[in-house]
Amino acid sequence: MKLWRSIRGTLDAFWITLRTLFRRPATIAWPEKRRAPAERFRARIVLTRDPQGKERCVACYLCSAACPVSCISMQSAEAPDGRRYAAWFRINFARCIFCGLCAEACPTRAIQMTPDYEMCRRDPLSLLYEKEDLLIDGPGKDPHYDFYRHAGIGVAAPRGTLPGERPPEDPGSLLP
Amino acid sequence: MPTLTIDGRTVSVPEGKTILEAAEAAGVRVPHFCWHRALGALGACRLCAVTVLDGPQKGVRMACLTPVQEGMRVSTLDESSWNMRRSVIEWLMANHPHDCPVCDEGGECQLQDMTVAGNHAVRRQRGRKRTFHNQDLGPFIEHEMNRCIACYRCVRTYRDYCGGDDFGVLGSRDRVYFGRFRPGRLLSPFSGNLVDVCPTGTLTDKTSRFRARPWDLEEASSVCPHCALGCAVIPGGRYRELLRVRADPRPQPNDGFLCDRGRFGYGYANRADRPRQARLEGRPGTLAEAVAALRERVEGIARQHGPEAVLLLGSARATVEANALLSLWARRLGAADPVFDLAARRDGAARIFARAAPALRATLADVRQADLTLVCGADPLAEGPLLALALRQAARRGAAVRVIDPRPVPLVCEAERLPLAPTLVPEALRFLAGGNGAGLSQEVLQPLAETKRLFDAARRPVVIGSAEGLGPDGVRALLALVAGASRPDRDAKAALLLPGPSSFACARLASAVPNAQDLRRRLGGGKIRAVVALEVDPLAEAPPAVTGVIEKAELFAALDYLPTATVGRANLFLPSAGPYEQDGAFCDFAGRLRAFARVLRPGTPILHTGKGNHPPRTFSPDVPGGDAAPAWEILAEILGISGGLSGARAEIEKAFSFLQGLAGLRADARDERVLPGGEPPAPPGAPAGPEPAGLRLLLSDPFVGWEPLSAHAAVLEVLRPEDAVYLNPAELARLGLAPGARARVEAQELSEIRVARAADLPPGLAWVVRRRGSALSRLPAGEVFACRVAREEGA
Ligand code: SF4
Ligand code: SF4
Ligand code: SF4
Ligand code: SF4
Ligand code: FES
Repeated sequence: MKLWRSIRGTLDAFWITLRTLFRRPATIAWPEKRRAPAERFRARIVLTRDPQGKERCVACYLCSAACPVSCISMQSAEAPDGRRYAAWFRINFARCIFCGLCAEACPTRAIQMTPDYEMCRRDPLSLLYEKEDLLIDGPGKDPHYDFYRHAGIGVAAPRGTLPGERPPEDPGSLLP
Repeated sequence: MPTLTIDGRTVSVPEGKTILEAAEAAGVRVPHFCWHRALGALGACRLCAVTVLDGPQKGVRMACLTPVQEGMRVSTLDESSWNMRRSVIEWLMANHPHDCPVCDEGGECQLQDMTVAGNHAVRRQRGRKRTFHNQDLGPFIEHEMNRCIACYRCVRTYRDYCGGDDFGVLGSRDRVYFGRFRPGRLLSPFSGNLVDVCPTGTLTDKTSRFRARPWDLEEASSVCPHCALGCAVIPGGRYRELLRVRADPRPQPNDGFLCDRGRFGYGYANRADRPRQARLEGRPGTLAEAVAALRERVEGIARQHGPEAVLLLGSARATVEANALLSLWARRLGAADPVFDLAARRDGAARIFARAAPALRATLADVRQADLTLVCGADPLAEGPLLALALRQAARRGAAVRVIDPRPVPLVCEAERLPLAPTLVPEALRFLAGGNGAGLSQEVLQPLAETKRLFDAARRPVVIGSAEGLGPDGVRALLALVAGASRPDRDAKAALLLPGPSSFACARLASAVPNAQDLRRRLGGGKIRAVVALEVDPLAEAPPAVTGVIEKAELFAALDYLPTATVGRANLFLPSAGPYEQDGAFCDFAGRLRAFARVLRPGTPILHTGKGNHPPRTFSPDVPGGDAAPAWEILAEILGISGGLSGARAEIEKAFSFLQGLAGLRADARDERVLPGGEPPAPPGAPAGPEPAGLRLLLSDPFVGWEPLSAHAAVLEVLRPEDAVYLNPAELARLGLAPGARARVEAQELSEIRVARAADLPPGLAWVVRRRGSALSRLPAGEVFACRVAREEGA
């Protein structure tokens, strides 16, 4: 019985090889041929800009907190106009598992996944992307969203002038 | 003791407690914003709604306002109170900005937590949001009024608890505004507490604005190194950079409050010019090389020229362990004890106090509970700021505060001052203890007799002095006063302000008899060939007679983490770890040993290695600038003690019996160990020298500018006092000086130009506040010197 199983096991493998020899391969001849990934494919991460062309990322650390493999690091800082921004922002793609949790956590739509999966390198250091490597020129998905126009703390426009805000109160007034 | 049940848990609490406090005791968390352990209840936020199922008033009640009653049954999970709490959150969020991502409170925000807990996710209200303008509140506090929920914690902290009067509430109805009448720096030396008490991101720490999220911070239970009070702090750092210091919310010892020096004075650790590399005769080297060189050279000199050629300098800011090991090294070399304090008078005073009975030594809690406090020859705001805050709490409970001091000592509570020449303060203490007041004039004796009546009637009086201000004679009088007043029904205690977080232990490590004359003899003999300065800066703190000898030594070794003058001159330098970069213990002014845990490992902050940009793209197992080691580790290595900190502590316990228990202290649990009293030194036979005639100079320390750590923190620069010489107005006129004129002050062959200012001082006294680095500041504080003040002509 045992012997029969072993013989069958050996022959089976040969049979599968033989059979597959005449089938169309599932793999493609990359890089001559390329697949078009689905629109929501999760690969290389980018940092986008708001409709005004300013950096969207406010260095809130939510993506780095959400990242299950801790491959995002950054340092937040304050710009002269009161914006919070990332002085540096680094993603270690040698570690990233492209789970997309960072993009899901991002409150400003700054960090987004793109379908570009062609990023294998021999040198792991070249997979360490800094902010300049991550930042793209456009807004990516959700092109009209501008966090600071909703934040309500007077960075994008003077306080109390945006829709949804009342003009600043006068604390000196004692009127009922 | 009424007994009640909260969510099915039965608990008994003292009469008069509220449901909220009972719930805390039972381990049930009642959500709240405006209630605060140290500030009490107000009833402003309505978040603490609970349902009283059984009791005199059934229904939804405010837990922070409702006193407990026997047999009450309370539920926090009942639907009616749950709905109420959820609605409160929704109302609070109706006007709240949508800006958690750019709010520094995010991650430790009570409002954020409650919003999540209350399931509030979508704003249903359609109206527009209320907005405010913010104020510039100075370099420490950032203001974002749109985030305020009007819990009034800030006002109660700033005005009631801390005694500030330049911050308050303005406006009316839903416009109430928490800020200053006009924008500007908050003037209270306790302003930083606003950061801790504000439950939202309205008031946040500006010194660490936008630097890190709380979940990324490395934090540990530590002890503030900026004075001898030993407040419990929780510093936080990241990327090898110290970023903030917050108070430990637990009540002891500092009631969850800090002074601005302790909170914002951490910048010394991150300085770009911090010495991080060992140096041997001007050549950079590794720490291991420098340690070996230090041992060889000191032992060599001791062998060749005798142990008296070695002078070891201990330090009030080094850990207890490092100082104890230094003592041990001196013993092994056969050398004299290390000199822990170069100011002989202060040192003598500390040694006497360090041997007083533990029952006589007041803690901060004792001061807060006192019913009478006397401040004699001490400036609490400068020498132990939280003590001034504790005095205020005593005063708020009705205690009288009396000050006996030549200087107009600033306090944060009402106090009555008796101006007295510095040399007369000990006599005044003896008078209070029943002496005859010899040498005191009639106009002094009268108010003093009134104070004595108060003192004799008080049940928990605390007398506060400072080692600098009182000197050995004054400390003896201080201890005699409280020892004589203690009876079974009466608890009189004394507190003595000391220069640094290890001072008490140092004074205990030193022999009982001050060796000031001895030191002078050692320095004068021309024998000193090796000087080892353990985290101390003698070149900035000692007069030329001392520094001349030190600088001439063949081996001048320094261990430090500050870029001091001493480090610059030393010919052997060993980088040591800062107080938040090591495990160790300090000993507070009441002789309580407290351990602290390491927050960060030493190393050059990524901010500097990356020059503000991303960290370098090179990899190495070494931490840049990470060669520094705790001073106790360096000394243990020299002494051949293995086993890390526990090995060193075991060795220390063996050598110094009064430090028993050091090894068992846990930092997280905030264990403390009271140092036992000892045999007090016999009073000296010779009376104090004659008082110098003519104008006398008195030096004292400021809140910021002298204490070595905060003096190296750039952000505190604004708090540095003006370089002034204060005289009483008549004296100013006599010297032909207008207030604001430039005056040259000369004493003990040191001279300096300062701005003349009028102050309420006794006649014949010129008063100078020390600043690290200034020439006159090398003279010890508290003593009086003959001096000359003259108008300085020219620019
Ligand atoms: S979550 Fe978004 S905004 Fe926040 S740090 Fe990451 S990319 Fe920047
Ligand atoms: S105060 Fe709290 S809830 Fe409000 S923005 Fe800041 S973190 Fe968010
Ligand atoms: S500023 Fe902060 S502490 Fe003060 S009332 Fe507003 S939320 Fe409360
Ligand atoms: S009082 Fe002293 S120990 Fe307390 S925070 Fe201030 S400097 Fe630190
Ligand atoms: S905590 Fe009770 S009303 Fe605010």
